[in-house]
Amino acid sequence: MNKHASWLLAMALTVAPIAVQAAPPAGDYVVGFNTDSTGPLAAAGQSFTRGAELATAEITAAGTIAPGARLVLDIKEAAGDAARSIQNMHQFLADRRVIAASCCILSPIVNSLKPVVAGKMPLVVYGATAPGLPSLPWVYSTTALPGPKDTETAATVARTLKPKTVTYFVSADNDAFKARMAAAEAAVKATGAATAAVISVLGTDTDFTAPATQAMGTNPDVIMVYTTQSPAVGIIAALRARGFKGVIVGNDALAPAAMWAKIGAPLVGVPFPLSFSPDVNQSPEARAFVAAYKAKYNTPPDLYSAQGYEAMWLIAQALHSMDGQPTREGLAAALAKQTAIEHNVYGGQAMKDGQAEVTGLTIVNWTAEGTLAAWKAP
Amino acid sequence: MQLLLEQMVNGCAIGALYGLFAIGFGLVFSTLGILNAAHGCYASFAAIAGYYAATSLRLPFAASLVAGVVTGAALAILVDQIAFQPLRRRGAGMLGALITSIAFWMILDSLAGLATDQQSLSFPAGTFPSAMPMLGTLPLPAMQMIAIGGLIVVTIAIHWLITHSRLGAAMRAVGWNETAAQLGGVNPRLVILATAGLAGATSGLAGVLAGISTNNVSFTLGEGMLLKGFAAVVVGGYEDVRGAAVAGIGLGVAEVLSAQYISTSMRDAITYALLLGFLVLRPRGLFGRASFLRA
Repeated sequence: MNKHASWLLAMALTVAPIAVQAAPPAGDYVVGFNTDSTGPLAAAGQSFTRGAELATAEITAAGTIAPGARLVLDIKEAAGDAARSIQNMHQFLADRRVIAASCCILSPIVNSLKPVVAGKMPLVVYGATAPGLPSLPWVYSTTALPGPKDTETAATVARTLKPKTVTYFVSADNDAFKARMAAAEAAVKATGAATAAVISVLGTDTDFTAPATQAMGTNPDVIMVYTTQSPAVGIIAALRARGFKGVIVGNDALAPAAMWAKIGAPLVGVPFPLSFSPDVNQSPEARAFVAAYKAKYNTPPDLYSAQGYEAMWLIAQALHSMDGQPTREGLAAALAKQTAIEHNVYGGQAMKDGQAEVTGLTIVNWTAEGTLAAWKAP
Repeated sequence: MQLLLEQMVNGCAIGALYGLFAIGFGLVFSTLGILNAAHGCYASFAAIAGYYAATSLRLPFAASLVAGVVTGAALAILVDQIAFQPLRRRGAGMLGALITSIAFWMILDSLAGLATDQQSLSFPAGTFPSAMPMLGTLPLPAMQMIAIGGLIVVTIAIHWLITHSRLGAAMRAVGWNETAAQLGGVNPRLVILATAGLAGATSGLAGVLAGISTNNVSFTLGEGMLLKGFAAVVVGGYEDVRGAAVAGIGLGVAEVLSAQYISTSMRDAITYALLLGFLVLRPRGLFGRASFLRA
């Protein structure tokens, strides 16, 4: 075989797979989006939904799935309620236009939906934080899991400040937070800091004066807070109002700008890990996402917006990779083959066993000016 | 000892909010015969009104408090006239009123969610007293003292109103038998309006104070107070506001001390077990008479 023939054969082999693959046809690809935009989780729920809405608009405009193919959201409200979420999922299943579903802030609700969608429709989780939620090939998660970062943050703060005693707050009615606290406590203990107390609160609690008094009564060097959003900001506000001057370590629930608007000054200097922030993430994709989000909603995105955004990009990417008319089964198989979310705002987002992973640790805190900055030990 | 005293103050302060809420809740039940599930919404809307008065209108603390109280009263009157007056006219029983109140609870909760854009808001620093004077080594946060003082003033005032004034006599008469009261020259419609307004106002006061103390101005505020307020009314006795006040304080102290010294995760279970035990011993409540059922 002469040189030219070899070159032609190589070209033919390279081009052949592209030539035989038929892109998904033009038309609407509907994603059933189970939102918690009202109810107790509304602050986060609205951010997830807005991120997903922005992504679908961008995907459609760019022709990401295929020329003339639109990604469309069918949004149904669940208000953080498991029964309503299940009802919504049954409606998505019955609607043959819906090719995939996306849902859920609460891990127990995801677990209640897994048997509903198994074998029928792919589900991409955008917000629930418990590890182990994905179940291939039907359930995936684009949540940047906060647990490992909580542990690293707790250990970093403990190694830096060398506290003798640490008191912990934990959401007693949230298994994910209990696991996160237990892991953080173990990491802190490994640095030599003793546990002064573990104080339980409930997600529905609103008055934290007494728990704050209880924590201060243990006279800790550092207080670490592993609770859902409302209790976390309530605890920190109550601790500062009662005069606690020590270091408080929070979690990523403190990141949304709405939390700064709600509590303000007591959050200044409280370190917490962060997967995404418009003040910190500066990749071209992140900057474009922030600009588009601000233009559309007149407010900056937060980590929840980013997760809702990535859920839609993962679905679009899998649809784009498919050959011919997509089906729910075909999409599930295509999702299972994705090893990374190519269009992401984190500077890299791998998919491993159906779970998105964001590497690297950024510890930030709110500044007095209301921006997020890298944390520096006091 | 220091910790015990601090937690006692905390318990009294949170209990004062329960007590204030319970007074309004009890007034409606004892006078109007309505177990009003929408009562928590009056507290939520009052807190929302107080918040916007403080932030959008930049009114001082006292004026924001008044705005919340007036909103609570106005809403209670509005709901009574729209929801309960037609039922009264038709002679519907307590169950019909309860179901109607649940419907209004849902509607008002949704409206409160819209009013706050589904967010939990917080009174900004500087819009309420935040001083923390010390009594020896015991901190006495200003808002806690205002809540406790508010409960004392409201309890005394409403108790006096009910037991020593013509309006109070008319309220008791309507509560006992509306037809008989009318035959005696009482205008039941006016009494009902006054009672609903007074109940809404006290719940509104509880709502604004709770919204400030807990950094939570949202539709969930009233929901949280509803169960505790109901418990305080049951334990205190429906017919005497002093019972609701004392039971509210007791509930708050039990809640805080059980969390401090027994179990934080079992706090509510312990508190309600104590209440249940109390009711077994004294079913008519602290200040209730032998039978509190309306004739």
